[in-house]
Amino acid sequence: MNGLIRNNFYSMESNLKMSFLMAAVLVFSPLIINNSTIYPMIIAVQVFLFVVNTGTALHADEVAKWSKFELTLPIKRSAIIGAKYITFAILILFGLFLGFCTAVCISLSGQTWNFLSILWGYEYGLGLSIISISLMYPIILKTGTEKNELILLLSAFSAVGLMCLIAAALSPITGEMNLQHPLTGAISIFVALLMFPISFVVSVNIHKNKEF
Amino acid sequence: MNRNALTVSGLTKKYEAFTLSDISFEVPQGVIAGLIGANGAGKSTTLNSILGLIHKDEGEISILGNPIEELQPEVREKIGVVFDGTNFSEELTPKKLNKVLKGIYCSWDEEYFFALLKKLSLPVAKKIKSFSKGMKAKLSIAAAFAHHPKLLILDEATSGLDPIVRDDILDMFLDFVQEEENSILVSSHITSDLEKVADYIIFIHEGRLIFSKPKDELLESYGIVKCGTAQFNMIDKQDIIAYRKQDYEWQVLVADRNNAKKKYPKAMVIPTTIDEIMLLYVKGETNERSYPQ
Repeated sequence: MNGLIRNNFYSMESNLKMSFLMAAVLVFSPLIINNSTIYPMIIAVQVFLFVVNTGTALHADEVAKWSKFELTLPIKRSAIIGAKYITFAILILFGLFLGFCTAVCISLSGQTWNFLSILWGYEYGLGLSIISISLMYPIILKTGTEKNELILLLSAFSAVGLMCLIAAALSPITGEMNLQHPLTGAISIFVALLMFPISFVVSVNIHKNKEF
Repeated sequence: MNRNALTVSGLTKKYEAFTLSDISFEVPQGVIAGLIGANGAGKSTTLNSILGLIHKDEGEISILGNPIEELQPEVREKIGVVFDGTNFSEELTPKKLNKVLKGIYCSWDEEYFFALLKKLSLPVAKKIKSFSKGMKAKLSIAAAFAHHPKLLILDEATSGLDPIVRDDILDMFLDFVQEEENSILVSSHITSDLEKVADYIIFIHEGRLIFSKPKDELLESYGIVKCGTAQFNMIDKQDIIAYRKQDYEWQVLVADRNNAKKKYPKAMVIPTTIDEIMLLYVKGETNERSYPQ
């Protein structure tokens, strides 16, 4: 599986560099923008930024016939899918790390910041990333990678929609439909973490029945 | 006695517009088997079924004595595969590919891989996307050899290569099967390559197996009877495998050319090539003979 994960990262290398560069620039944005209401969004974007590349990389692998070739390797289909999900998780961790760097930068810049607001940035970014990837990958596996950008967009919209639904469902407790409420964020992450392994199982089943 | 590296029995795969029907053949250990057929004949469907990339509707396939449904990673380790075109992510360099495949194959031989890259004049640090079609094919072949497989399955592996490199690759194939346990199943449009190296020829046409025979038997006993209309009309129907008319000449494929020479002394009976056999099957008539006016 080590080789497969390595291959996934090599495939995305140039896109990853671009994402890293953009996320790294955003780390220093608090030094220019003195507006604490924007910081959570910056962190959320940083967490999501790395996931955006996956569709393009999957498409490139399909065009290069790697997706077909890897089935001939001495590994089980579940390991191929497992390697993809581990890669997604690592990408999200990259985003979290850069989000953390942004938080450190805010702190070092001496600006006043609200812990709950920064936490929401993480929660929103994590929820958006995990739910999007959980929806996107099985759909791409089923329908092919040609429309990967559209599928990513729709998955991201669905992720936002789901988080809004969670916020609406929790409104009796939170007082109003509040996306930024810590409880909404926590439940969103819980749902996302639930969806991730379910998505893996669904993807393994799709892959087992897929013909290349 | 040789065991079979690959056994295909009654393989059937149905698509809406195409059916691969009841394909059966064997590839014994220590041989090179060439899979031939026109475009769309069913060669890739056969290979994809063997590799489990598509789900067969009927039939049995076993590789190195193991049914493909139960192929464990240890058995897959012994299979080397090359598809037409690129097999790997184009962002990789051969050096990075080595790292990837080293992490997948237990038997990956890094030293041998780099020796093959050198032998095939492939750059180690250039991205695959900058490679020509021939270079990509050479890289795929190097990667297939570098984990010391027992069975190589190659789909149009030598297409896009210049004759000199093709010759080198064919020599590699011949060296590979010097080990009695090693075998190759190779599909190719370049039948002259197969004439050079193949021990068996498997011919598929319109989804059906036409024959699976030792190459020497084909080349030594098959022949083409070249004759005019009058002589053509006198040829025993039982002797005709396929025939076609070219200008004023009839070409008739027969299975026993020595017998044909004796039976039809006025006709010209010549040895044939795999190319001509394929052409006569594909472009000629094989069904009930319609006698010319």
